[in-house]
Amino acid sequence: MTPISMMVGVPRVVQGVKIVNPMGNEEMDPEAEQRLRRDIATGALHALQTDVKVPTLFDRHKA
Amino acid sequence: MASKKLRVVHYLNQFFGGWGGEEQAHRGPQIVDGPTGPGKAIQSLLAANGEIVATAICGDDYVGEKMNEAAAEIVQLIRRYEPDVVIAGPAFEAGRYGVACGAICKKIQETLNIPAVTGMYGENPGVNLFHKDVYIVQTGDSVRTMNEAITRMVNLALKLVAGHKIGKPAEDGYFPRGILVNEQSERSGAARAVAMLLDKLKGQPFEPEVLQPTHYPVSPAPRIKDLSTATIALVTDGGLVPAGNPDGIESRNATRFGGYGFKGSDSLTAADYDVNHSGYATVFACQNPNRLIPVDAMRELERDKTIGKLHERFYSTTGVATRLEMARQMGQAIAAELKSEGVSGAILTST
Amino acid sequence: MHITRVRFADVTAVERSVLSINRQELEAQLKQDTRLADVAIELANPGDKCRIVNVADIIEPRARTANSGPDFPGAVGRQGTAGHGSTCVLRGAAVLINDYNTGGRRYQRPDEGIIDMWGPGAEVGPYGKTCNVVVLASPAKGTDIDEYCVALKIAGLKTAVYLAKAGAELTPDDVEIYDIPPIRHTAGELPDLPRVAYIFQVFSNQRVPLPGDPVLYGLHIDKIVPTILHPNEVFDGAVTDPYRGYAATYLIQNHPMINELYRNHGKTLYFAGVIISNAPDNAPEYERTANVAANLAKWVLGADGAVLTKIGGGAPELTMAQTALRCEELGVRTTLALAHQGIDASETTLKASTVFSNIAQVDAMVSMGATTASPMLTLPAAEKIIGALEDSQTGAEIRRPASDIKGSFSQLGDSDLMAVRY
Repeated sequence: MTPISMMVGVPRVVQGVKIVNPMGNEEMDPEAEQRLRRDIATGALHALQTDVKVPTLFDRHKA
Repeated sequence: MASKKLRVVHYLNQFFGGWGGEEQAHRGPQIVDGPTGPGKAIQSLLAANGEIVATAICGDDYVGEKMNEAAAEIVQLIRRYEPDVVIAGPAFEAGRYGVACGAICKKIQETLNIPAVTGMYGENPGVNLFHKDVYIVQTGDSVRTMNEAITRMVNLALKLVAGHKIGKPAEDGYFPRGILVNEQSERSGAARAVAMLLDKLKGQPFEPEVLQPTHYPVSPAPRIKDLSTATIALVTDGGLVPAGNPDGIESRNATRFGGYGFKGSDSLTAADYDVNHSGYATVFACQNPNRLIPVDAMRELERDKTIGKLHERFYSTTGVATRLEMARQMGQAIAAELKSEGVSGAILTST
Repeated sequence: MHITRVRFADVTAVERSVLSINRQELEAQLKQDTRLADVAIELANPGDKCRIVNVADIIEPRARTANSGPDFPGAVGRQGTAGHGSTCVLRGAAVLINDYNTGGRRYQRPDEGIIDMWGPGAEVGPYGKTCNVVVLASPAKGTDIDEYCVALKIAGLKTAVYLAKAGAELTPDDVEIYDIPPIRHTAGELPDLPRVAYIFQVFSNQRVPLPGDPVLYGLHIDKIVPTILHPNEVFDGAVTDPYRGYAATYLIQNHPMINELYRNHGKTLYFAGVIISNAPDNAPEYERTANVAANLAKWVLGADGAVLTKIGGGAPELTMAQTALRCEELGVRTTLALAHQGIDASETTLKASTVFSNIAQVDAMVSMGATTASPMLTLPAAEKIIGALEDSQTGAEIRRPASDIKGSFSQLGDSDLMAVRY
């Protein structure tokens, strides 16, 4: 739903994985999926610490 | 069938009613016989179809301060004249006047069961407040456009009284009331689509049948300066609810949200939750609710002091076919709750 | 062959627009699939006070005549190609498949997929006016629901072939010809006509795909990258509607958008071809789909313009909008035709819309009606109900939105409904 959220005007957006599994990936094994989830969450926290003026898409992974 | 000469009552504010300016805005309602001010022009337009039997006048602040009572009072004055239709304004850009016109028209319709029409400029707050209840004609922003405004208002008023089918907003010059109707076109959807494409390819103008939304800009909140002391909350529109959906959140077109505690847990347990959302295959979220509300990941980040605290409640609703206005209200309510609980940032997981 | 009535008889035949069916023979053939139990055929003619529920798909009886190739290649028959030679159509008849007995496992509401053969329900959709042959079955012991659904669908396709074979040797009532030769045979003949492609979204990955669903030449398309088909292939059994999908196989066999483009071919446009795609549920995949589809339209089909439809609710709009944007960026102008699924009809914010995207170039949109603005219908009590479980209440008088009637809303362009804002 990434481009939608940016179109609607959400200032900080981190790309999730897929509609049916936004913060996970059922095709991965549980440990890898856990690390992925942490990465996305970390990306979100980075976005919260960043000033933005316009809707901005943030990476995962970035600490 | 002999056409009856319609009895029309006109509503004006203190200025258009001839009382004066701002200093008269507090005055209570009065009603006088016959047309006043712009009512005279309206009378000419009505010609043999109708007669302005009375003009009700009231100060904008009087109405503004206690809208319901003032509107009721004005309706009582008007009803003695037994009108067939009420025309209010036009208010152009004047905000208090526009709101008053809208409120009075709405009250007239509810109480006297007769049609009422008003007119104002698009930016007038009265439009947003009353367009779904009342026919509001689109006008320009100043009295220079009076003629056009009252022409539209009179036309619409006559149609309403006669019970004629009201045309589309663009045809009859009023603000869309938000009613969506499926009509039958003369041509199939396929025929219209191909025809529209051919027009577009030839560079000819075409009329799209579906309007794109205009989204209101959101001002970003300033960044969190020190994450290690901040409380972060989790929110989702993926429909995650405690097993049994105790608050009865709808699985589509939601009108409510819930806040659910998970105090102390390192992770959300599948058995404790349901996923109630008709817009996507919920199997993976059901298997592991952390895929919607990532308590497990956030708990790690709390333990290693990346964040100060993970807020102990998550908020949830269902984001499919949910009205934009309702979503806006829910978002504001959730934000208010989070703010009062000392939360500085939130992560919303969306499906 | 035109059909105006269907009945049981000793011999399966078509005569003077009556389709007669040897019930035992047909049921015996379908029973050969051991995944199915309780196989039964029921009939319903227009005007019967009959309500059919739990209709999972509708298929037009079709059988290819001798030497034209296998029927529903890959799905019923062996692999092959659809769209050439000649095919017998029993127009006015329809095969319905009914999955009344899934143990309630797959669907949200029981007794969806309604078709009324009389009354107000028959007026709002096409299948109340066709002579319907209903295939009912339950899962056999040991067969799981997914296998059962696939077996049922194939039974429906087989029935469609079995019935149409009765008309295949007769002199047809009407002949329809569909012919678009390969581009190089017509280069230079129709140079001034704009080349128009149709981008046909067939399946949305917001739904779990049914494993083994014979959607494209016998296999599913949930992981497909957009590809090109000749329009005749779509008409002639290469594509079926995904199980319990938003359209119906019948509609795809008579695809309204493709029909419209054929109607205009050689006159106002050159129909360049059909690009089929799915609607992935995540950003990287739908961006890939959008890019591939747009590139096919531009560089392979040489399209000047494209018409797009979607299949589903809000999520597939993303793929559709993104595909349209990519097309516009490549200079392929677009028009989107969509039924509005999402927003509450009473959404009254002034600038409220029923679609998501507000990309400037993707501005040509045709409305095919809003399901949420569907009027409520009072459907009278039926004298006969087909395809419900014993305790069903649906045979009584019921109030349902018109959109509950199969075929009342269409995302493929046959409907003349248009959602208008007042």
